[in-house]
Amino acid sequence: MSAPESPSKSRSFRRTLLAVMAVQVFTLLLLWLLQLRYHV
Amino acid sequence: MHPINWIIVVGYIAYVMWDGIRRSKGTTEIEGYFLANKSLPWWAVGLSVMATQLSAVTMIGTTGQGATDGIRFIQFYFGLPLAMVILGVTLVPFLHKSKVFTAYEYLERRFDAKTRSLTSFLFLLSRGMSCGTILAAPGVVFSAVFGWDLLWTVALIGIPTVIYTMIGGVQAVTWADVKQMVLIVFALLAVVVVLLYKMPVGADDALRIAGSTGRLKTFDFSFNINETYTFWSGVIGGTFLMLSYFGTDQSQVQRYLTARSVDEAKSSLLMSAYWKIPLQALVLLVGVLVFVFYLFQAPPLLHNPAHEAQVRAAQETQYSALESRFQEAFTSREAAARAVADARDNGDMAAEAQAMETFRAREADVLEIRDDALALAEDVTGESSRDVNYIIPGFVLRELPLGLVGLFIAAVMAAAMSSIAAELNSLSTATVIDFYRRWFRPEATDAHYLKVSKLATAFWGIFACVVATYAATLGSLIEVVNRFGSFFYGSILGVFLLAMIPRARGIGAFIGLLSGMGVVAAVTFGAPDVSFLWHNVIGAVTVLIVGVALSFLRPSRRNE
Repeated sequence: MSAPESPSKSRSFRRTLLAVMAVQVFTLLLLWLLQLRYHV
Repeated sequence: MHPINWIIVVGYIAYVMWDGIRRSKGTTEIEGYFLANKSLPWWAVGLSVMATQLSAVTMIGTTGQGATDGIRFIQFYFGLPLAMVILGVTLVPFLHKSKVFTAYEYLERRFDAKTRSLTSFLFLLSRGMSCGTILAAPGVVFSAVFGWDLLWTVALIGIPTVIYTMIGGVQAVTWADVKQMVLIVFALLAVVVVLLYKMPVGADDALRIAGSTGRLKTFDFSFNINETYTFWSGVIGGTFLMLSYFGTDQSQVQRYLTARSVDEAKSSLLMSAYWKIPLQALVLLVGVLVFVFYLFQAPPLLHNPAHEAQVRAAQETQYSALESRFQEAFTSREAAARAVADARDNGDMAAEAQAMETFRAREADVLEIRDDALALAEDVTGESSRDVNYIIPGFVLRELPLGLVGLFIAAVMAAAMSSIAAELNSLSTATVIDFYRRWFRPEATDAHYLKVSKLATAFWGIFACVVATYAATLGSLIEVVNRFGSFFYGSILGVFLLAMIPRARGIGAFIGLLSGMGVVAAVTFGAPDVSFLWHNVIGAVTVLIVGVALSFLRPSRRNE
């Protein structure tokens, strides 16, 4: 659909992807800990 | 409500209107009116994307859901970050570079005019009605809470929104969204602070008590397609739903088409990827904390004041008896909750476990009495109680300090206005670009299109107000339209996915779209227990299979 991206753009996207996923994993981990500690 | 709170609400609405009208200067052509000449910064677009998705239903309905059902609803959004990343590398760069006004315009370039017109028509139909329901939700609640006629509450929210959207176009919508998003987050955080301050137990004890009722169970890893709120429904079904919503729904696509560049458009979507789940957790946590607060402070038996008045008038004796039972059950439950906190403070594990068991039994007693009251209310009023939507407004009016009440009511209105404004703006765009300019007046001047666009915004605004005003009587019709909407949401996504396959043809897209809708309709009626999140997966996959098969069977032509 779109033109192939340049290597620098691909690198930048991979960095963003990693950052987004890291934030999500951190958020889910917090929710998991909340459940572990308080859910009975 | 105190006059100072009203001054805050009216002052906020007046400010949003004034600012919106001010931004109409310089909007003399449709590129500016609909796309802000692609000049907006990523953070403003990102906040606008989030504000469009966060409606008044989130502020009053989802917080109420947190109070009654806990935070498991958050699993619904687990697919959102992945969907945003996928859109960032596929549709966003393409749509932004292709200089289109609507997502459907691209489908004509790729496939044919009938596929564009059908998808745009489906968007107009579903969003036109949903705009009415988004307006009706706070309208109905405010009507019951303040005792006003529904017409006035709808007018209070609807008319200012229509005026600033009509005059200021997408610039007004986006910059109003920025302010509205800031106000919403501030109001939610303020409520959390007030709740923690007024609660007679500490935050740790409060969460422990909430956890003992299952309200802090976030993850459900069971694989059951009949359940909407499970990890797998959220990750798989949710990803398809979010791809459909953010990738093919004009009310969202138009937000990121206004960004300065492709990179800024991508960044605006990633803002939601970062913040949506934490924000939704905050919304649900407000509800959970309100639940704990009401363990120590007696709530009304029925949260809907209009229903309570009707029931009291019609069944005074029966309702008073229920209230007496409720008061007794509440007192026992409060003592049980305090016993849990005391046992924890003393570090006595066995006593804590025993106290929790007692607390859960007392909670079940309270729920049973409340169910009786809700059944009585439904008998008397003849309508579904939807009591959950009145928990937070009632709490705000009774418990928040002066000034903060006005701020929260303004935030609920802001949430409604931001969603309605974005939808009106996108409905006007699809009407003018996909139908008026495409089929009736292809060669008119920009000034003419601008005039028609403003009229289209006004038309859809009046349409939304009429639908909202008759929301109660149109209940079943709205439900039909919403159900109809779920038939084609995933199917439209399927058409856009098909567009990425080089050999796909118009005939495959059009027949695939109809097939996708047909299969989802068959699943909806044949297997009604399947969660609607999976309809998006089924629709998209059907379109891809049928579309690819037909495209490969038919001899290829460049332009069908």
